[in-house]
Formats: sequence, structure tokens, C-alpha cells
Amino acid sequence: MSDFRKRSTECILAILEKKNPATTKEILAMTDLFPDLCVGCSSGGDVILAGKELVDKGVLEREWTSKGFVWNLLTEN
Amino acid sequence: MVVWSRIRKDFPVLNQLYEGKSLIYFDSACMALKPIQVWEAMEYYYKYLGACGGAGRSTHSLGAETSLLTEQARQKVTSFINAESPNEIIWTRNATEGLNIIAATIPLTKDENVVTTTLEHHSGMLPFYKRCTETGSELRLVEAKEDGTFDPADFEEKIDDKTKIVSFVHASNLTGSVAPLEEVVRISHEHDALVISDDAQFAPHQKLDVRAIDVDFSVISIHKAVGPTGIGVLYGKYELLEELDMFLVGGDVIEDVVYENNKITPKYLPPPHKFEAGLQNYGGILGAGAAVDYLEKIGMDNIHNLEQKFSRKLLEGVLELDKFEIMGPMDYKQRTALVSFRPKSDSVNHNDVVEYFNELLPQHKILMRGGNMCVHPFQYQIGINPRKGEGVVRASLYIYNTMEEIEIFLGELENFAKVID
Repeated sequence: MSDFRKRSTECILAILEKKNPATTKEILAMTDLFPDLCVGCSSGGDVILAGKELVDKGVLEREWTSKGFVWNLLTEN
Repeated sequence: MVVWSRIRKDFPVLNQLYEGKSLIYFDSACMALKPIQVWEAMEYYYKYLGACGGAGRSTHSLGAETSLLTEQARQKVTSFINAESPNEIIWTRNATEGLNIIAATIPLTKDENVVTTTLEHHSGMLPFYKRCTETGSELRLVEAKEDGTFDPADFEEKIDDKTKIVSFVHASNLTGSVAPLEEVVRISHEHDALVISDDAQFAPHQKLDVRAIDVDFSVISIHKAVGPTGIGVLYGKYELLEELDMFLVGGDVIEDVVYENNKITPKYLPPPHKFEAGLQNYGGILGAGAAVDYLEKIGMDNIHNLEQKFSRKLLEGVLELDKFEIMGPMDYKQRTALVSFRPKSDSVNHNDVVEYFNELLPQHKILMRGGNMCVHPFQYQIGINPRKGEGVVRASLYIYNTMEEIEIFLGELENFAKVID
């Protein structure tokens, strides 16, 4: 994995450690708080892709709501 | 008469179930799917040739055929855009590379300026921004109107006798709006300014006639025109290409490099070869030729007519739901077959919309792109803030799509509007 992808993973984890759970909109609005980690395009696709990989690994859960997806960092991880 | 259902069968990607669901591919403005005919042309190169082609390279049978086929492909592109000569067609990696070549090599002094617009793809803007920063030249921006159209009077205001070149997007990848290129060329030429048109989103969808428009340079990404990735075209009027310096030098661009008195003196080939340094993407070039053949066989007028029907149905359907804000002009005739939109409610991020249609529909995956489409300045201009994670969703269609797919999409979009705040 390139450093770039690793940092996108660290970006979403850092945001969810600050606010858990959070909607996609909330997550992407918080990327400014972690400028060294959240380095991808501001449209947020890199963060979402990293989040989906973490869902597949069982680190995060993602649930659809009327406010879009809500991402949850599973505490046992 | 074109049998569109037969066309669709040439694209096996669409004839599969992916994760048990059928695919509705609405992301052709990013990447067009590839028909069998294109892979067969590429396969022919890799399976039966696999050799060097190009200027002054291997003359054995496989090299000779590679050279012949790549030059035939160049001729096909020449006809496709109605250039005067194949010597005006340069193979690049993509439209971005073509724009960078011109931005980096056009003679430009500090007291000259470059004009571009807020609606440009970053690839049409940043190469010129970078060059102007290096030379100290002024980069002037014409603001597109809120609906992505232009007022030619704004170009009259920005272009003057010190304007060296105008970089202009012919059809927008964000709004789908088709720009008045002929008018901009006319205004530019009145001031002896050159024009480079970004035809990445135009050439795959409508007949591009570079001679009728009288544009000086044009760039195309073949991957948006059912061709392979990694191959593009830079068109330039021959006398201009002759004057330009090269971006890359090395093998294949050389007539000779003389060594005398401990000094070297290179003598370069004429265009187009002087711009094609190193071994080329021969498989991609053959694929490009096949892609152009494929589109020409269908007929660009037929493609345009089909897409106008798509554009109308898609635009009117999304408008009718009254739940989404739409980018671009409301007249379908002014657009290519793409619609960028975002929920009016602002409760859901564009990435969620894309993911909903990708993951949560029972029978289909509707594949769209979300984000800012590499057109950030225009979005800032109209009040969408990429830095806050704001963006749009883009549905972009092409020759393999169907009216039925649009109906499915509109039905699902209506359902989606009901499940968000």
C-alpha cells in the first residue's frame, strides 16, 4: 500500500476517533482538522474508499440512514 | 439505420452480473467502455506483432507492419477530426498531456497573457497557470455563467493583442454544456491569438471538424471515445507544430545526432515525429484506430442524435422530481448526454449518493461519479465548496446506454429522494 492510501486510512480513523459515529458529510467536513493525513482530493473519494476497505476488514461498520451513510468505529478494535 | 441493441452487445462489460446485479454504466465522461473490436485490434498487435514501429526503427517484417498500422491509425484520426494532414496528428498519453505540451512549448513572454475560463477541467487550466507562473505572464480567467454557458462578449473583454493563446473547453465534463468555440476562435484570431480546444468531452460525442472551426490546436483522450487507456491525440496546424519546440527529446525524434570536435549537434525530424520521443504505445495506437473506425461506422450524427434523446429524457426526468439541483443549461440541446446534480436538501453527501446507487439497489448497480470532476474553480464560483467536502454526482451516458436504463435510474432516484431527509 502506498503512503497515500495509508494516510487516507489513518485520516478516516483519526476523524472517527474524534467523533464516532459520524455521517459521510460530517467526516468530510472534518478533514481540515488532519491536514497531514487527509491529503487526497477534497471531493473525499479517497477517504470513502479507505473507509470501505476498513468495513471489509471489520474495523468499521457502515449503515444507511436518511442522512446518508453513518460510519462507526468498532470499539473492540 | 443503427441497431443500438446490437451495438450494446459489443461491450461485454454490460453483459455480466457484477456481485449478482446488472450494471448500468453512467460514468462514460470519465471512461468509456471498450467494444470487442478495440481489444481485437490491440490483441493483434500484442499477439502477432509485438515489435518496434516508428521513425527509423526496425525494418524487419514485424516492425514494418507495426509502423504501417500505426500510420494507418494516424490517418484514421486525421479523417475523424477532418485535419488537413496526418502530420498534424501527434500521439500522446491523453488530452492532459497534449495540453501540457502546448502550455510548455508555446513561446510566451512576460508582457503577453493567456486566457482561459473558470469552467476548464484542471488539465486545461493548470498547465497554463504553471507556465504563466514561470514566465510572469498574466493568466486571465473568463467566468462561465452560472449554467455553464458563456457570453462571447466576456471573451472580447479579456482577449487583446497581447493574448498569446486561449485554452477553452469545448464541452464541459461538469455541466455538459457545449461552448461557442467558433465564436471564441473568431475573436481570438482577430487579435492573432491562438486557440487550443479541450475536445476530450466533445470529440467522442459530436463531429469535430478542426478545419471548419479553424481551431489551432485540439486535444482528445481516446479512452473517452471507446478506445484504450493511455492514448490520446494532440492536433495542431502544421505550420504551428513546425515552429514549436518539443516537450520531450530522445529516440524516434531524430534525423541525426552529429558528433564533431567533441560536440553533438542534433537534427530533429519534422512533425509529428519530433513530438513522439521514445517507443510508442503501439497497441494503444492500433486500439485508437479501431475506436475511431467503430465510431465512424456508427456515424457521429447518429451518436449525437441518440445522445440528444438521452440528454432530454435524463434532464427532464431529474428536473421533474424537483428534489435535485442540476448543473448546466436547462435546454438539453445545449448539452452532451450528462447531468451533474446534487440533492437540494443538502443532508446527504455526494459520495453517499454514488454509494447508494452502487451498493443498495436490489437488482442493479448504477455506476456514477461523485466529486468535483476536476473543475474546482467553477464550483467555488457557483457556491459549492470542495474544501467542505461539497460536490456533485454525475450521470454520463454513451452509445451503449438505453432509454430503459434512464427510466430505471429515474425510478430509483425518485425512491432515493424519499429516503433522505
